Amino acid sequence: MPNEGLFSAELNLFEQHRQEWSRSNLGRFVAIQDSVILEGFFSTYAEALRAGLQRFGVRRPFLVKQIWTTEPVYLVS
Amino acid sequence: MARVELHWNPLDPDDPGPCIDVTITNSSDVIAAGRAVGLEYPNPIPMRALLDTGASVTVISKVYANHCKLFPTNEGTEITAIGASHRCGEHAGCVSFPGTGLRSFDSIRIISAVFMQQRHYAILIGRDILRNWVITFDGRSKRVTILD
Repeated sequence: MPNEGLFSAELNLFEQHRQEWSRSNLGRFVAIQDSVILEGFFSTYAEALRAGLQRFGVRRPFLVKQIWTTEPVYLVS
Repeated sequence: MARVELHWNPLDPDDPGPCIDVTITNSSDVIAAGRAVGLEYPNPIPMRALLDTGASVTVISKVYANHCKLFPTNEGTEITAIGASHRCGEHAGCVSFPGTGLRSFDSIRIISAVFMQQRHYAILIGRDILRNWVITFDGRSKRVTILD
């Protein structure tokens, strides 16, 4: 299903690469803004955030996303 | 080593569970980058947070996430509670525990969700944070102890 929100472009780009990245970098993080994928994969959310801030700045949001084969559903009970 | 004691009476229906005072701000990395280009950020505001062993991730009320202007980093994250699913935002933030000696958790992912008529707390402290502490509950004295 296409994404239509704040990160629609980034999430659609992520989906194009999900299978490939799942094979090579499962569990790591990527940072994406518009059609620009930050070079490299990151072990932690904080590392990806810092790298994204250095590359993209803070004026516009960028996607920080962990790579899973399918999206996790978080349980809150 | 920090030690914090909280009161919790599990037999009181109005007691939501062990709660602790927290402040939520943007991550220090976001604030530093923002201030370097002239952006301003709100001062941290104190809130109540529930220690929620049933929450796999830390969740903040969307109202407060917006008030704190937390930097968005994802959307559409799915959480499920009692069978109902919700699509949520993700933000980079910093959770601090003022006056306790507990260390802060900076540049962590915080999920934002709509809290339905919740008057006791604005944040659920999930297992992503709880896993860093030793937590015990003494039912006879109704005390929860956190060791960091």
